[in-house]
Amino acid sequence: MAVYEFIDHKFDVVVVGAGGSGLRAALGCAQAGLRTACVSKVFPTRSHTVAAQGGISASLGNMSQDDWRWHMYDTVKGSDWLGDQDAIEYLCRNAPAAVYELEHWGVPFSRTEDGKIYQRAFGGMTSNYGEAPIQRTCAAADRTGHAMLHTMYGQSLANNTEFFIEYFALDLIMEDGVCRGVTAWKLDDGTLHRFQAQMVILATGGYGRAYFSCTSAHTCTGDGNAMVLRAGLPLQDMEFVQFHPTGIYGAGCLITEGARGEGGYLTNSEGERFMERYAPSVKDLAPRDMVSRAMTIEIREGRGAGPGKDHIFLHLDHLDPKVLAARLPGISESARVFSGVDVTKAPIPVLPTVHYNMGGIPTNFYSEVVTRDGDNPDSVIPGLMAVGEAACVSVHGANRLGSNSLIDLVVFGRSAALRAADILTPGAKQPDLKPAQTEAHLARFDRLRNAKGGTPTAQLRLDMQKAMQEDAAVFRTGESLASGVARLDKIHGQRSDIQVTDRGLIWNTDLVETLEFDNLIGQAAVTVNGALHRTESRGAHAREDYPDRDDENWMKHTLTWFDDTTGKVRMDDRPVHAYTLSNDVAYIPPKARVY
Amino acid sequence: MVELALPKNSRVQKGRHHPAPAGAQKVRTFKVYRYDPEGAENPRWDTYDVDIEACGPMVLDALIYIKNTMDPTLAFRRSCREGVCGSCAMNIGGRNTLACTHGWDEVPGQTCTISPLPHMPVIKDLVPDMTLFYAQYASIEPWLHTKTPEPQGEWLQTPADREKLDGLYECILCACCSTSCPSYWWNGDKYLGPAALLHAYRWLIDSRDEATGERLDDLEDPFKLYRCHTIMNCAQVCPKGLNPAKAIAEVKKMLVDRVV
Amino acid sequence: MTDFRTPRSRALGLGAAGHGVSHWIAERVSSVALIPLVLWGVFAALRLASSDYEMAVMWLASPINAVLLALLTVVSFMHMHSGMRVVVEDYIHRRLTKTGLLLLNLFVCALFGALALFSILKVALTGGAY
Repeated sequence: MAVYEFIDHKFDVVVVGAGGSGLRAALGCAQAGLRTACVSKVFPTRSHTVAAQGGISASLGNMSQDDWRWHMYDTVKGSDWLGDQDAIEYLCRNAPAAVYELEHWGVPFSRTEDGKIYQRAFGGMTSNYGEAPIQRTCAAADRTGHAMLHTMYGQSLANNTEFFIEYFALDLIMEDGVCRGVTAWKLDDGTLHRFQAQMVILATGGYGRAYFSCTSAHTCTGDGNAMVLRAGLPLQDMEFVQFHPTGIYGAGCLITEGARGEGGYLTNSEGERFMERYAPSVKDLAPRDMVSRAMTIEIREGRGAGPGKDHIFLHLDHLDPKVLAARLPGISESARVFSGVDVTKAPIPVLPTVHYNMGGIPTNFYSEVVTRDGDNPDSVIPGLMAVGEAACVSVHGANRLGSNSLIDLVVFGRSAALRAADILTPGAKQPDLKPAQTEAHLARFDRLRNAKGGTPTAQLRLDMQKAMQEDAAVFRTGESLASGVARLDKIHGQRSDIQVTDRGLIWNTDLVETLEFDNLIGQAAVTVNGALHRTESRGAHAREDYPDRDDENWMKHTLTWFDDTTGKVRMDDRPVHAYTLSNDVAYIPPKARVY
Repeated sequence: MVELALPKNSRVQKGRHHPAPAGAQKVRTFKVYRYDPEGAENPRWDTYDVDIEACGPMVLDALIYIKNTMDPTLAFRRSCREGVCGSCAMNIGGRNTLACTHGWDEVPGQTCTISPLPHMPVIKDLVPDMTLFYAQYASIEPWLHTKTPEPQGEWLQTPADREKLDGLYECILCACCSTSCPSYWWNGDKYLGPAALLHAYRWLIDSRDEATGERLDDLEDPFKLYRCHTIMNCAQVCPKGLNPAKAIAEVKKMLVDRVV
Repeated sequence: MTDFRTPRSRALGLGAAGHGVSHWIAERVSSVALIPLVLWGVFAALRLASSDYEMAVMWLASPINAVLLALLTVVSFMHMHSGMRVVVEDYIHRRLTKTGLLLLNLFVCALFGALALFSILKVALTGGAY
């Protein structure tokens, strides 16, 4: 093995990832007087938060009366009761303040006539505990994530946050169950770095790229999730993968749910607005899991649009072109570029596309990473936090509502910072790191850098993506999932034959992609194993062989551990929190989820 | 001094040719700038015959096809692949644009030439060093400055005032504009460039901002602002259809309004 | 290229000079002024082309013609100086060369401008006598 030397850094807090949640956490920690580093493999404004379109939910009540309890009810129902209600209460209560904070930082929200933040309707958001759709999603046209991310980056600059940009995080430095820091590879000069910190906050996003077709960016490879798995810690609820109903057919690019919030609707080959059949009260504004299933059924039953009868139409052509220009300019452009459609004249061909991972690193509402330790299902891992899509708090449960992810980023990014400020002493003495703690990191890096096998990374990655796409789709069966488990196990085994061509250290994207693939494969494996394990249908996890929700046996979070050497998955569970945070709202007991 | 010829060790040489896979029916040649910072060789032009029937419609699809099936060593930035993250800005067929939203069939001629953004230090292949560009962006203080105590709710803003931010806040910092600007080529160390100035105007015109005067003070400089000679390359290449030149003109107008 | 300055420091450079708008206004104002002045100048030159020396001297003795010609000359040289200055600043970065060229630009424009102005005044005031 080549000799690698680390360049050492010591901080109070290291945030890995510079998307919405990472920036919010880093900013909060810096403001609290903690010496904070934010490490990211891409320049902050290139993080995938930038692609969020529709908006950020908060019960501001700018369009009509609203209440955070209604928002909470919708989120619980949207999660198919798998969400932890203490965390959901925390989210919905703190949402309005979080949005006002963003506005004060300069986010260019669209406005109402009386100068307030404009809010639009989104799937699953209702008034008065499920009565009728409500406008709760605060929007900056259809570029809300972009506006937020750029504003938060500006705010980080204002607060002199220390960024380490284009550093690829390798692994967590663990010592007796405590996280001491993180190692990273600096792309532009090829050096390796060791970031020591009292607290590591993982804000590394989802792993949509485990699938062949997804709305996620190429960089959405869940690196933090994989680091957690390699550290011997579990991931939670990984079987819950959200398919967004309206990914552009072919390209997979996102068309916001806000398109339907502004009045757009879906039709099948017969021109029928089929959502009226599946969700009579909210129709096209049903939660994403239901719309995606409805679309899949329509296509399966031969009512798909187009020559191949393999997609669905999203109509915006009945809307006023002025509204389209003001409220949906971004998707109008995407539709033109990626499907050649003028939205004012023709419908957009769309298909359910992998979009979001409800599962991730289990945390409590302070954003501290937890695991099951014997009888204690909420045992905190000292020195480690997770926020954003990487985390599973769990506020989204089995299915996330549209526009709840952006609010999740800022509310829990902030909660992580508050907690860090609470429990850490700035500049506190940290124990010396030992070379043994990072030997495995270097060994893995060096092994992949010099991999001389016969199968290129791209080939293995494609095999994995195809397996996930085919076997862990909108609808799953025991058979398909068993096939998925076997296929991924085989691909995992083929890692020994992986081939990396570029041996360099500077901007070696061949190696970056290989490290990313190596991160993805473990997450893919726990996803299909978790899905095979859960013999019920709940939220985004739809088992055809177990079509009903089974609260008696499955009202619990799945925990999955992954043995990177053998590829074996171990399973356990954690109870769903059946209590709220305060007495201001009562626990919402499970009932049938109909819209 | 403006240098018209590249120094000896930067002159681009003829590189390797990668033929199309056997059985490819329709082939298009991509000529790609290659530079390996860890080798001793000069930069070179490699050519790749891409089977375009096996590859998606965009230039980024072709680059990914090349990386996946022909040459894994090719380095380029990419992320969202839908034109919002700004990672894959490069010079394609002589024009700065995003590889992910630019179709290879839009590039005239038989060969599609791809090089890094012009006049930037190259780290490797198509990856330029953007450090100074980002620092220039930071130097205009891209955040809301207020002095009035913050309200409980939002700062109010009329839809008309909000509309003034359209065509500005959509910038994705891809640097296509700045690196297409001759003024930025010659004076990139002193001239802020179209992207940073567009952002400067975005905050100048925001009705909620209370530091307009200070912002204008920081811009009133023969180089930072006034190196813009309305060449208009910025507006022509912007992949988001924005018009930085117009924004710069508006800043100049505001400076005039201040004294006249 | 070893430079340990921070990127931010490089971007901020020496800070804003605090002027530029007056130069910009001067350029625009002189451009606007030159439109009628040049039109008039071309018209006058065409007319004078067919006249003899005496007539030309008489023409320049008229206060209107003398003043307009003086203005055309002065504004042209000022405009030329300011335009050339920008060209030098754009393309020449070596300190010595740049300073030299900027001085040369100033001196040439001032010298020829002053000579032209003096000649106009001389003809206008003394009737072209030697």
